[in-house]
Amino acid sequence: MYESTTTTSSTDVKPQLYGILAEFHDPQTLVEAAAALRKAGYKRWDCYTPFPVHKLDEVMGVKPTILPWVVFGAAFSAVIGAFGLAWFCNAFDYPLNFSGKPYWGMPAHITVAFPAMVLTGVVTSFVTLWILAGLPRFHHPLFTIERFRRATDDGFFIAVEATDPCFSPKNTAELFRDLGAIAVEEVWD
Amino acid sequence: MTAILTNAPVVTGYDNTLDDGVNKPVLVTGEATFHEVTRKICRPLESPHPPRTWYISFAISVSLLGVLGAMIGYQVFTGVGVWGNESPSFWAFDIINFVFWVGIAHAGTLISAILLLFRQKWRTGINRFAEATTVFSVICAGLYPAIHVGRPWFAYWLAPYPNTMNIWPNFFSPLLWDALAVMTYTTVSVLFWYLGMIPDLATLRDRARSRMSHTIYGILSLGWRGSARHWHIYERATLVIAAFATALVLGVSSTVSTDFAVSQVPGWHETIFPPYFTAGAVFSGFATVLLLAIPARSLFGLKDFITQRHIDNLCKLALVMSSIMCYIYLIEFFIAYYSGNLYEQYAYMNRLFGPYWWLGWIMYFFNGVFPQVFWFSYARKTWWIIIPTVMLTLVGMWCERFSIIVTSMQRDFVPSSWHMYAPTWVDIATFAGTIGLFMTLFLLFCRFLPVIAMSEIKTILPQSDVHREVKKALKSGE
Repeated sequence: MYESTTTTSSTDVKPQLYGILAEFHDPQTLVEAAAALRKAGYKRWDCYTPFPVHKLDEVMGVKPTILPWVVFGAAFSAVIGAFGLAWFCNAFDYPLNFSGKPYWGMPAHITVAFPAMVLTGVVTSFVTLWILAGLPRFHHPLFTIERFRRATDDGFFIAVEATDPCFSPKNTAELFRDLGAIAVEEVWD
Repeated sequence: MTAILTNAPVVTGYDNTLDDGVNKPVLVTGEATFHEVTRKICRPLESPHPPRTWYISFAISVSLLGVLGAMIGYQVFTGVGVWGNESPSFWAFDIINFVFWVGIAHAGTLISAILLLFRQKWRTGINRFAEATTVFSVICAGLYPAIHVGRPWFAYWLAPYPNTMNIWPNFFSPLLWDALAVMTYTTVSVLFWYLGMIPDLATLRDRARSRMSHTIYGILSLGWRGSARHWHIYERATLVIAAFATALVLGVSSTVSTDFAVSQVPGWHETIFPPYFTAGAVFSGFATVLLLAIPARSLFGLKDFITQRHIDNLCKLALVMSSIMCYIYLIEFFIAYYSGNLYEQYAYMNRLFGPYWWLGWIMYFFNGVFPQVFWFSYARKTWWIIIPTVMLTLVGMWCERFSIIVTSMQRDFVPSSWHMYAPTWVDIATFAGTIGLFMTLFLLFCRFLPVIAMSEIKTILPQSDVHREVKKALKSGE
């Protein structure tokens, strides 16, 4: 395992408490803990899992993402745009006559509008996903925690941020222990 | 059978192709804890040296890639005259190989997108793998439209930009459709492939032993940390992209087929072309996935993830596609007869008994008849039956494109313009080179990227099932 070199600068920046990280043994206890945390009124917290745990977002109360609407808007505009472009180029600005066919043919231009829709839709989904997720972000306080590396392998984590109104280093850690966490530690930024 | 009844993760020596009608078959065999899954899939990437077979295959592939570079250089500097294309066969190897490679690409998108929408859990074992074949074969396919225009440095003329010639591109032109379809397909398949890989790249980042691999995988994984809020958006984005990709699978080969269908050449001017090309494309794609999956699963020790059941399912899908092809072949003959069009009828008789009669028969037998062996479960379980069958399928599908393109063109309406087509050595070497390009990319993929979607495999393990806890939590929350 590659050791990350976390250099604590000796000069100025005082380390700040980012929050508390708790590890759970399996996805089942994680789901139960997430439900309890939500009930306890926590707002700024997140679960970290190696795979998408089924319906965990619902348990956490994550609002449905606006991504599909953004994509719909973009793809719809692309269809209009592609038809418009084909019409402008071949029927309006410089009408081209090919074998006496009509200048404007909607069915024939589907072969242009369709790829435009798919391309725009997919690129928009990809870009919107990262904008909404706040990624790429190569530094994160959680990456300084050694055990957090297992969040992409077989570890199931919950982190509550220190900015949460309900947060208190002692009580939150206590709550995590009650919920069956196998490890609880503070995360410093 | 007792092993599955207890729902235990450890299942060995059990034939997961059997259905007992009660239990869901196990899709991951062997010891399947979350950590074991990670370890087994990362093993080929983390071992200091790949197997010797890898080195030998890589040497051959890279040599062929060199041939491709030389051939493209020769063709671009000399002109398309180095190919065998001449009147009346203006389309030949370039378009045959373009359609052939685009076709191979289709299985990956079908497996990753359509099977995702249909919630087919077995796809998780092979989707990454199949998507990789998509990306690499689209690259091979995209090469041909670029070089067959003869002067590739003017390819930007296809874009509708205000220019000094004061003219716009013709949006009714199949050349433009091809460019759009291939560009879209390349972008979509690369993005979909990469998107699926990001959580796994994060796993590799967190397991990295050297600073260099930590940095490279770290940059590629975009700082992914498995956040549930991110997973929520990620899963939705995947679903949306899958929906687009599903439409695209049906759209790309349809677009390619309309290149032919909008012309008036007998044998091309048919309404059946879009489904015909799509079915053929998916068929050749499944053949390729089988051809690559069977050696790769034993070479890299992935038999627990690409199980016998996966191979079995792929064979069944290949059988379905083969049967659709049979139906289309028969319909084409019937419609040629029923249309009463002499030229159309001649085109089909020419396929069977014309100068390239043997290619026609190869196509009907290799695509329609031989794959029917997959009706037998013994054949679907035996690699030495599967491998030759799918290899013949690929040969057959290539011959099909040759039959459609060349035999239709070389004997068109006026017998005075009939002329026999023969490829030149440049044609053949370029095609061999694209196989080299495909294999080189594929072997690099097997060595440096996760061949199996770890994060997706983990969702189908029995221990990741949380529906009871979720139900309880949602109930108490109300």
